[in-house]
Amino acid sequence: MAKTVFSVHSSRGGTGKTVIAVNLAMALLKKGYSVSLLDMDFRAPSLFYVFREETKNQVKFWLNDFFNGRCGIKQVLMKISGIFSDDDNFYVGFANPSLYAIRDMMGKGALFEVSALKKLYRLRSFLLNKLNVDYVIYDTSPGIQYSSINAITSSDMCIVVSTSNPVDIEGTRIMLSEFYEVFEKKTVILINKAFPEIDLPNFERNKIISQLNTKKYEVISTIPCFCNVLRSKGDYLLILKTPDHPFIKKIDEIANKLINF
Amino acid sequence: MLQGMDLLPKDTEMIMKRLDELTSKVDSILEMSKEILRFLENRRSVHVHQDLPPDVMSLLSLPGSLRRTVLAIYKLGEATAEELSEETGRKRAMECSYANQLVRMGYLKKKRKGRKVVFYIGNNSSRGS
Repeated sequence: MAKTVFSVHSSRGGTGKTVIAVNLAMALLKKGYSVSLLDMDFRAPSLFYVFREETKNQVKFWLNDFFNGRCGIKQVLMKISGIFSDDDNFYVGFANPSLYAIRDMMGKGALFEVSALKKLYRLRSFLLNKLNVDYVIYDTSPGIQYSSINAITSSDMCIVVSTSNPVDIEGTRIMLSEFYEVFEKKTVILINKAFPEIDLPNFERNKIISQLNTKKYEVISTIPCFCNVLRSKGDYLLILKTPDHPFIKKIDEIANKLINF
Repeated sequence: MLQGMDLLPKDTEMIMKRLDELTSKVDSILEMSKEILRFLENRRSVHVHQDLPPDVMSLLSLPGSLRRTVLAIYKLGEATAEELSEETGRKRAMECSYANQLVRMGYLKKKRKGRKVVFYIGNNSSRGS
């Protein structure tokens, strides 16, 4: 697959977007690709915490600063090396977790968001063309919010994460039909935290697909609910701690599918 | 009127070509008129700010054809009708009409760069930033 920008999105919170986005980025990095991961969830930022050891809590500029015009593209991207090797090409953009910053971003109007979308396109172009990044992944806010729609608009492909919870499935169905169809984005569905038995009888999986009521979108994978993942308590870099875990195997399969999409 | 006139095969070919071009243009205008009517109908119940650049929420209420033009301009930064046509895969004349329609609606701005007309999204970010 050519250089691609993915957004990981969902209709509701708690579907596992961040753990999927982080480990997907790691899986691609491990394969030798140049990767960038951007925290576009300004209401509940989490990447600063995931990479707290790697950054030594020394984030100088946040994506909030970039969108507010307080820093440039080069300053907002933090290069992290040494995760798999010293040659890692991994660029992260963090969202500011302070209450002040969250409140500030929530109070922005439509005109700010127009400028933010223009800047996001410039950031995308810089990552793909200047830094030669192969894959950019946006970890977005759930639901229909400016920051997440901006991220989806400027991405090439969307990974919509849903659990097998009926409320979640209904929310995903509405979002796909009323939102994704409008923006004509290449979209795949990822069912996460599925009941463990879901992979055994295929009719369970097919039932969810029929509930989503869409033949347009491919279900790229079904990841069962794993207690170890739930118990990881914010230690999202599972690929480093438990590389042979079935969850990581699933993520690796998804990475391979996306590369060959 | 043409009675008694001898048309050369070359002339007939040229007339047919011109007729094809005219038909294509009329089709484009009809299609665009339909899109504009649909948009105006949708707009009756929605308050649209004039001369404001298009944020993603207002893109949702735009007709698909116009939305594709706006998204292409967001991607390219600024663009001529020719560049828009390359990005969207639609005809240059069509892109030119859509972009001018968006200028009239207040969503886009245009400027001259030498002999070319360039469309772009304005920077009216006086509030919210």
